[in-house]
Amino acid sequence: MPDIQNIMDQYHDLPFLIQLAWALSGVLSIAIVLLTIYLKIIRSYLRKKAQHHLAYKNKYEIFLVEYLYSGNDDGSLSDTQQTIIKKLKTSVKNKAKRKVIISILYKLMNEVSGEMSDYIKTLYHETGLINFAIDRLYNKNWYIAAKGIGELTRFNIEDVNEKVSEYALHPRREVRNEAHLYLVNLFRFEGLEFLNNLKTPLSEWAQVQLLETLQKFDDQQICDIKPWLRSSNNSVVLFALKLAKIYNQFEVQDTLMELLNHENKTVRIASIEVLTNLYGLEAKEMLKANFKDLSLEEQISFFEMLEKLVIPSDEPFIEKHLFHKNFEIQLLALKILKSINLDKFMAIDKKSNHKKANPEILKFVKST
Amino acid sequence: MSKKIVLAEDNTTLSLLLKFRLEKEGYELFMAADGKEAIELINTNSPDLILTDIMMPFVSGLEVISHVRIKLDLDIPIIVFSSAGQEEMVLKAFNIGANDFMGKPFSPNELIIRIKRLLI
Repeated sequence: MPDIQNIMDQYHDLPFLIQLAWALSGVLSIAIVLLTIYLKIIRSYLRKKAQHHLAYKNKYEIFLVEYLYSGNDDGSLSDTQQTIIKKLKTSVKNKAKRKVIISILYKLMNEVSGEMSDYIKTLYHETGLINFAIDRLYNKNWYIAAKGIGELTRFNIEDVNEKVSEYALHPRREVRNEAHLYLVNLFRFEGLEFLNNLKTPLSEWAQVQLLETLQKFDDQQICDIKPWLRSSNNSVVLFALKLAKIYNQFEVQDTLMELLNHENKTVRIASIEVLTNLYGLEAKEMLKANFKDLSLEEQISFFEMLEKLVIPSDEPFIEKHLFHKNFEIQLLALKILKSINLDKFMAIDKKSNHKKANPEILKFVKST
Repeated sequence: MSKKIVLAEDNTTLSLLLKFRLEKEGYELFMAADGKEAIELINTNSPDLILTDIMMPFVSGLEVISHVRIKLDLDIPIIVFSSAGQEEMVLKAFNIGANDFMGKPFSPNELIIRIKRLLI
């Protein structure tokens, strides 16, 4: 006690700044000790959790493998399978166990097909896991609803189609994307009906995901895309243009021609690209006639179209733009001329003293 | 004597599923969770066939194939598993000596048929 008293006396005699430094050191030391203890507790908790997770995983993996290989020849559930379902039904009530079971099934759905994936879907239904996913749809947190939709997509649950369709127009982009993927994964082209009412933008990434999903199906019978090409939502129009290009929609050429006068430049450019792909000769003549009124980007797209659809009668037009102020148009014009009239192209040297002529482009085209 | 198969797959559930099925068919199975373990198992067990996933931690399936074909100079059949979007990797796998491939998701029954065909 006298020692502590002595220390306290000495502390009080110290200048204020030194006292403050000592006080801070003391507080920080206590904080470090407390945080170290806290960290130890957290680490030990996480280790235990990981151990439990691993133990559950090992246990349920064996159950699952046994379940998958013990089916009856007629496809009905055997007694062993019924017993396993009963056991798992009890386990899924525990959140931690449910998470492990779902993650095993989820991974396996990506790896196996055929009757095994059918058995997994049956297990998902029979154990009541489906009900937990459906409950998630009604959760007030958007991210939980989105995860629920993702899970229902993975296990191809068609029964909740009406409820999920409501989320196709959800204010949160993440939820909408999950709902769109659900609809397309399960109902293919018919699932794209949500595009009729979509007012929000469909991001480029969402479009890529939808196209990728559509392409994995064997049945590539596409539905009528005209309503989407006429949508007031530009992202829907752009998506429909991608569909027209990928699925060679020659029957929508007239609608594509209308899009050449669309108010949005990106749509107009994408339409030129699709028409190029669909050999839109009529569009080519129309664009050629209105070339001066086109924006520079459209003019470049048009020259890219010409590169593919050029015919000898286009030569005067190309010659007129051989020394266009734009690098890309000049390059394309030279390339096109070289492809349709080599003699004329080789004679260009004489004319190349034109003030806008780029000798490097000419040299490059000659060498290719 | 049963034929030996090395299975390199990082999804433990799938490994277990295939092990169960292949052992039932009479094969002796050695499981590796990554390419590094697979190379060790191949070196020590001289398998008759190798099943390998393309994307694995530490050492990829492609490296496993090149180890077998170039370093060990072995002619044993190799089947690779690939997921969607790995088409280029599959081509590379064939270029360096893979014999067959199965795109995920696949049917284990179909895999058995392919294994039997390669081990005739």
